[in-house]
Amino acid sequence: MVIAWEDGHRSTYSAERLRWACPCAECRGEGGAPGRLARVKNLDAKELRVQDVALVGQYALQVAFESGHSTGLYTFSLLRALCDCAECQARRSRT
Amino acid sequence: MVPTHQQVLDVLAHIQDPDLGRDVVSLGMIKELEVSPQGKVSFTFELTTPACPVRDRFKTQAQDLVGDMPGVSAVEVRMTANVRPAFMRPKPSEILPGVKQTIAVASGKGGVGKSTVAVNLAAALRKAGADVGLLDADIYGPSVPAMTGSRTVPEQVDGRLRPIDAHGLKVMSFGHIYPGDQPTIYRGPMVGKAIEAMMTQVDWGRLDYLVIDLPPGTGDASLTLAQAIPLTGVAIVCTPQDVATDIAIKALQMFRKLNVTPLGLIENMSWYICPSCGHRHEIFSHGGAEAAAQRLGVPFLGAVPLEESIREDADKGTPVVISRPESAGARAFIEIASQVAARTSIQSFRQLPVINVR
Repeated sequence: MVIAWEDGHRSTYSAERLRWACPCAECRGEGGAPGRLARVKNLDAKELRVQDVALVGQYALQVAFESGHSTGLYTFSLLRALCDCAECQARRSRT
Repeated sequence: MVPTHQQVLDVLAHIQDPDLGRDVVSLGMIKELEVSPQGKVSFTFELTTPACPVRDRFKTQAQDLVGDMPGVSAVEVRMTANVRPAFMRPKPSEILPGVKQTIAVASGKGGVGKSTVAVNLAAALRKAGADVGLLDADIYGPSVPAMTGSRTVPEQVDGRLRPIDAHGLKVMSFGHIYPGDQPTIYRGPMVGKAIEAMMTQVDWGRLDYLVIDLPPGTGDASLTLAQAIPLTGVAIVCTPQDVATDIAIKALQMFRKLNVTPLGLIENMSWYICPSCGHRHEIFSHGGAEAAAQRLGVPFLGAVPLEESIREDADKGTPVVISRPESAGARAFIEIASQVAARTSIQSFRQLPVINVR
């Protein structure tokens, strides 16, 4: 997945990176209980392929994986924070 | 004798989908079935994915089963796939396709006159010549039917509800669906579904503005709306006193978190001119919303006086901007509507994210 931001920056994400960063309650856990991503070490191939992406209001993207998992709403600020390009990594290590 | 449609379907129902555990006819996979007088049978076999592992087996099975029927001279099976939508909610592009601008009217707490503002804002935009819809998303306390004098039940055409015409506005409210004293007793998830249905199941047609009257607070209805559609903006209504402006700020900050542009704050019940002594009273204080707007860096859209005529005409079902356009209240609403229109047109130049899925 590629995002071209309004400020000209470009971010590229692998489906695998997005899947492991899924912010939904099932994956992250809620109420102090660990989520699924903290318990499993491997996800099968279907979980790691993106099927579709939709806009949520004006603040997030919803990503559907081929496994049918689609509860994660990736806010734009989260997506920007997930950018792994050399420039963003360098900026993060500075702060 | 050529077979009937039903006979063909009965035969095809012998094919089971191994994954879904049901026959392909009841799963709705057989489409566009035709039987010609010469006994030629043709149909479309719609799979749930083009990568269906039993695609070829389905095709052979269908051809053999129908081909063996008496009276069938030829079988044509078209294999297609219709990938079921991956999302539980409709895509934004499928919601309100003909609506140019969506303006939400929200408040922190109830009783500040949010519906009165929404109705008059819609009516003022209509008076200015725009095509305007008014969606009453306050499903627990719908007041738009009474305020617009539209207590009729909406007609259903082709499975979709037609909005009610009131004062030239296209109006739809939960009060039209549960009229009279029937309450709406819904838990959170149902509220979301109801709001979505008000947008997707109602034939809004082409509109310049859809004004959406939200329930007070920062709950399910507001959240669903901000997620379902890229709202053009939100106007927050409050009364001047601290206890009201403090909560209005919370509502505003919620929409900011969801990236919805605040169009500004509106101060309602801002002052009262006593009809007997002519004195101006500031019952709920004055200027609180303007101060709050300044503090938050959002526009102040205007102040509306507390007037008996606004309430009277709302109770009679006619917005004051239509019934008494020269009154101070109506003039305030008209001025606010033009402010809102100006701010939304600035917003219309914004670029919405474009999503390409390959």
